[in-house]
Amino acid sequence: MIVFEDVYFSYGTRSVLKGLTFKVKESERVAILGGSGEGKTTILKLIVGLLKPDSGRILIDGEDITLKEEDELMDIRKKFSIVFQDGALFDSLNVKENVAFCLREYTKMSEEEIEQKVRELLRIVGIEEAIYYMPDELSGGMHRRVAIARSLAVTKPKMFLYDEATTGLDPINAENICQLINELSKDGTGHIIVTHKLVDALRVAERFIFLKDGRIVFDGNIVELKESQYPDLVIFKKELQYVI
Amino acid sequence: MVERIKRLISDLQDFYLLAFNGLMGIFRRPFYLKDTIEQMDYAGAGSLLIVLIVSLFIGMALSLQLSAELASLGLKMYTGKIVGIAVIREVGPVTVALVYCGRVGAGMASELGSMVIGHQIDSLRVFGVDPIKKLVTPRILSSLIILPALTTIGDAIALLGGYYVAVFVSNQSGYVYWSSIRDILDFENVFSGSVKPFIFGFIIATVSCYMGLTTKGGAKGLRRSTTNAVVLSIILIIISDFMLTRILLYVLGFTL
Repeated sequence: MIVFEDVYFSYGTRSVLKGLTFKVKESERVAILGGSGEGKTTILKLIVGLLKPDSGRILIDGEDITLKEEDELMDIRKKFSIVFQDGALFDSLNVKENVAFCLREYTKMSEEEIEQKVRELLRIVGIEEAIYYMPDELSGGMHRRVAIARSLAVTKPKMFLYDEATTGLDPINAENICQLINELSKDGTGHIIVTHKLVDALRVAERFIFLKDGRIVFDGNIVELKESQYPDLVIFKKELQYVI
Repeated sequence: MVERIKRLISDLQDFYLLAFNGLMGIFRRPFYLKDTIEQMDYAGAGSLLIVLIVSLFIGMALSLQLSAELASLGLKMYTGKIVGIAVIREVGPVTVALVYCGRVGAGMASELGSMVIGHQIDSLRVFGVDPIKKLVTPRILSSLIILPALTTIGDAIALLGGYYVAVFVSNQSGYVYWSSIRDILDFENVFSGSVKPFIFGFIIATVSCYMGLTTKGGAKGLRRSTTNAVVLSIILIIISDFMLTRILLYVLGFTL
């Protein structure tokens, strides 16, 4: 479904991605790991066309999105559901209005239907009681849950993209978010989770991509991950020693 | 150096595109009426008290200065006329625009800037909502409506302030003051003062939105974009005021 072919990207003079090449199938559960500033979030933004690469091609279902204009990217974006770090909720709207945002934009549902749909989505993510809360009244975990509910409002995505979905959360909330991610993938929907927490990546992914200096230095499954002796990856794996 | 020039040209191009698309958004669907009304409420109702206070004291100070100067020449009866012309053509539109810029422009830049930092703009784009149409157009439209309205109210209050000083401090005739004001309320003066708020409103909204939407970095970046929005708007208001005055005087047939 997603193909990166020799993708280069830089922010001004700072080169972030240097010739990235990889493929992700539709139902795959992938974790992209790496330190801060390695371009993990940039990859998600490139997938949905929020950023354009300096060179290289990005194919979504065979279509090269690097050549598309903003208004042509809508059909591509409908295939994904992206949950940004901290949820990116509209802070002037309450939870109901945040989740109902796309329903109001794209459907002609009545107020009752919208309320019903919002409650249904909030029930799926387990926070129906927060329907009238403002974003600043929500905890970090609730933020992510509302963002997930909002992303499910209009279309059923082919793939979920999570940007640091568990970063900054306590272990219980992180576990809950991981469970929710797994729950949403049960019907074969794939997901890419960008994180620097290997513990959480292991909970939700079957394939692991490790970035270092703008390049992929590891791409493999759990068995290969355990065996890898790549120095930076070994440091990441040390985190696991402290789990028990 | 070449790189900086290239970046400046690129920034200018982006700004013109934002200003053009933001303005054209007024005539294209979808129309975000609720967002526009919210902006009008924030910009209008929220700024009214400040405009009233500032305009009142500007009018009073102007009247005080002129009364003192004209009294020494034995021309006190012209206070109303000069205060009226100054307020309607020049001081009123510029003062209200500066107040509007400091309050509303800074608010626009910081609000949009924090939306950029919090990925809310990215969210809008992912949901297929054009951020220019949804965020910039309502701000431009509300500024085009609210700033002229605030200027009209501000002018009236400044003239009242001038009246108070002229009559109760400088002991002039109230009848003479108001009849002088009535005399200068001709097409040339009113038109000259009415055109400016529309231009100033457009400048403040577009500059502030552009600065907000191009925010980079965290809190420091937000501070920079908000400061830049206010400073650049003020500079552009003052420069465009001079240019507009020159053009309007020429168009309306005033001789220098």
